[in-house]
Amino acid sequence: MAFQNQVLFAKDSVYVHINVQDTKDKDAHIAGRVFLLNKPEGYFIEWKAEDVLNLETTSEEWDVINYKNDREGDSVSMNAKMDARRKYNISFDILDLKSFKRSAPNHGWAYIIFILKDGTTFPALHFHNGGSKALLKELENFIYIRRSPNDPRLFLVKDHDPEQLSQSINELSLFTDSSGAYVQNFVNDSKHGLSKKFIKSPYTTTLGGFSKVTNFLRDVLMTPENSQNLVRPQSEVAELLQDDIPGMEISQLDEPGFEMITKTKLPPRPTVKRGDPLASPQWNSFFDAEGRISKVDELKDIIFRGGVDPALRSEVWKFLLGFYDWDSCSKKRTDQRKRKVDEYFRMKLQWKTISAEQEKRFTLLKERRGLIDKDVMRTDRTHKFFAGDKNPNLQVLYDILMTYCMYNFDLGYVQGMSDILSPILVVMENEVDAFWCFAGAMERVCHNFEMDQNGMKVQLSQIHKLMQIQDPELCAYLEAHDSGNFYFCFRWILIVFKREFHFHEIQRLWEVIWTDRPCSNFHLIISLAILESEKSTLLENKFGFTEILKHINDISLSIPLEETLRKAEGIFLQLRDYKKLPISLKEILGLLPPAHVPASQSMENSMFMGSTSNSSSSLQQEAGVKVDTPTLMAGGAGSGASSVKGVTRSGSGSDLTKGTVGAACSANVARSIGMSARYGGGARQSNGGGAGGNAGATCGMDDVHKVFT
Amino acid sequence: MSGRSKLLKVVLLGDGGVGKSSLMNRFVSNKFDAQSYHTIGVEFLNKEVTVNGENFTMQIWDTAGQERFKSLRTPFYRGADICMLTFAVNDRKSFENLPMWKREFLYYADIQDGAPFPFIIVGNKCDMPNREISEEMAQSWCSRNANAPYFETSAKDATNVQLAFISAVSRMREMEDQLEVKPVQTNSVDLSKKQKPLNSGCCS
Repeated sequence: MAFQNQVLFAKDSVYVHINVQDTKDKDAHIAGRVFLLNKPEGYFIEWKAEDVLNLETTSEEWDVINYKNDREGDSVSMNAKMDARRKYNISFDILDLKSFKRSAPNHGWAYIIFILKDGTTFPALHFHNGGSKALLKELENFIYIRRSPNDPRLFLVKDHDPEQLSQSINELSLFTDSSGAYVQNFVNDSKHGLSKKFIKSPYTTTLGGFSKVTNFLRDVLMTPENSQNLVRPQSEVAELLQDDIPGMEISQLDEPGFEMITKTKLPPRPTVKRGDPLASPQWNSFFDAEGRISKVDELKDIIFRGGVDPALRSEVWKFLLGFYDWDSCSKKRTDQRKRKVDEYFRMKLQWKTISAEQEKRFTLLKERRGLIDKDVMRTDRTHKFFAGDKNPNLQVLYDILMTYCMYNFDLGYVQGMSDILSPILVVMENEVDAFWCFAGAMERVCHNFEMDQNGMKVQLSQIHKLMQIQDPELCAYLEAHDSGNFYFCFRWILIVFKREFHFHEIQRLWEVIWTDRPCSNFHLIISLAILESEKSTLLENKFGFTEILKHINDISLSIPLEETLRKAEGIFLQLRDYKKLPISLKEILGLLPPAHVPASQSMENSMFMGSTSNSSSSLQQEAGVKVDTPTLMAGGAGSGASSVKGVTRSGSGSDLTKGTVGAACSANVARSIGMSARYGGGARQSNGGGAGGNAGATCGMDDVHKVFT
Repeated sequence: MSGRSKLLKVVLLGDGGVGKSSLMNRFVSNKFDAQSYHTIGVEFLNKEVTVNGENFTMQIWDTAGQERFKSLRTPFYRGADICMLTFAVNDRKSFENLPMWKREFLYYADIQDGAPFPFIIVGNKCDMPNREISEEMAQSWCSRNANAPYFETSAKDATNVQLAFISAVSRMREMEDQLEVKPVQTNSVDLSKKQKPLNSGCCS
């Protein structure tokens, strides 16, 4: 209280972008102000959300968030929205700063991502009104910053050393207008031994083009040196995983000739272009007179290249996720849907009709109910669709997951499933459709969730194998830092990047992945692409096991999707065209002609390909994976467009809810278990209808509307 | 930051949904997020603390509680200095699972049979009205388990969270001191107490 925090720098209109449905949402950007403060404890960088700021202006205390004692820090009484914003507040001692990334300002506004010594990586601060450069200039008065020779966006903070600071820092002028130029640091660090001197020698600083070689040497030479501020040797943590997870042991000499591999020379990476999302006229043009999709492969190519217009998703996803067969006509789809509605309610009744008495003797079901109950309350609650207490959509999420337990009782409910379901439900806005599409999506990833976790282990080791070829340098670094098990990718793989991207982005990513293009297991290549983008940060900060884990956890929601997809496809093309690509990798990517796949291995492989893919399986694409050029439909040959109208609507709406429940139970039972709401059509499909069912419990459309409006 | 602090590895264990991540976040950044996700995989946070004049960096590991992820969780137990066994006072099952968590930890952390280890027991969500586990029940379990310190916390309203974590460090230091003195001394009573109940079963 006595000490007035001295504000050395302040700038408003600095935003944190959070995970909401789309970027147009006004809640997507939280406005705030960034400060550089001189506090009694040291120099701090802070960012505070604006609402919070206004409310706190009465208090001269800056350190409300971190240093108040328990009771004062009580946030329960504060209103929820403010609380939700406040959680993004940032505050750290600049001596903990390890490095930061600053985007090229010519791409719109600049943003800065601060990375601390322990690997903590804060969300990007977007300077909508400029000021990032000014902040960094101010910062240069207190810490010594140099630009990474390998990644122009990355800046490294040298350990605090007054001597170095006194060297005319301003000469470096990192953040003047000529900031595009590399600024090299030739300062020798006398504190460290021979190896470091070797590294600091002009090899690294001048021969940028040979950085790969020197970096590799550096890794070898410098492996024991990381985590400066922790006294305990990393080795304890380090022993982890390598030998503890059965099936996770990864031999560094796995492939014959480890040394050779470090010299892999992949073909140059081709430039990849992404396309526009599949839009309505184009989509309609694919249907013939019977409402059958005429050129499935071409359609999938378009979806792979640009995704799907959000307005079309609920229909297109039904094909991608096996709700409808790709070769079905509209008549068949009407029947398919009807059957699926019946089937769903039959399964839902199975658990709905288990009495409390029964459940006492049905521990397994009771436990699953408890798990689902807890996780539903913790899934995407910041998203509009699930926000607020007593949001009815939470019940739908719950019901679908419970019904899935009946559908796949052997698997049951495993944490992560609610993450898979949530974006699908948001798109479908309909319980039955969402259930079946979820079941289709699970079909692709159910091995992630199985008891022995073998599916996860296999995939993590496949990333390792791929990286040995794709980026031996990074691979060697990770191995040398106890991360060769790729455990830090666990969340990525388990829920297919669900928590790593913003909500609207994950929908795009998933529809791209669901096309099974350009190869099998493309999600593993996406992992390689993300890691490649983080390579400089990991290597130049000399991150060890814990820092890598933390950094990778923390970059969630700041990974650029389209750039990553371009990069991933580029990596795939390099691997595909690499003459010496080992058979085992061809197999992972589905590049072997079917005949060459040994039976046992093809089974392992197929479990990641997803059974919902078209019968012309990815394996057969070996001969001609046509991904180089976007095969966009020119103008979407309009023929047949009109004939398709109504395809998407047929058999939807209230008619489906009639008769279906009756098929499984009497109207009374159905009512008594509360089945009138939410069941068949969503609000969007309510204009369907017509062919009424013939039995039992009808569901009021009012209820349906209530749920989905 | 001093750069001289000793690293303490703290492992938070307990059933899914008892509030492990919330406890960690409350302790490290004094924040509570009612809309937070359930943890997938493993996360950790560091926190600098000073306890009785000594500086420590507490590295708190938070894992997914579901049985399914056991094989990917247990490797992180090794090298732990402190284990916090957590349950929610409004969730009987989570309390009944404490012995299971304790066993799992001792096994995978590779703690020698009978060796004393600093466990701290935390009953979270004490702000909730529908309590299923009384303080007496919890205390009774603790007394049968090497007299592990017990704290009733609320990550939501911040009750006792700092206290529990800081006490965990004190507890660890006390046990270290006792070990150094060798069990010939007067506190041998304490040690024998600690050794016996390691395998004692669950309450009821």
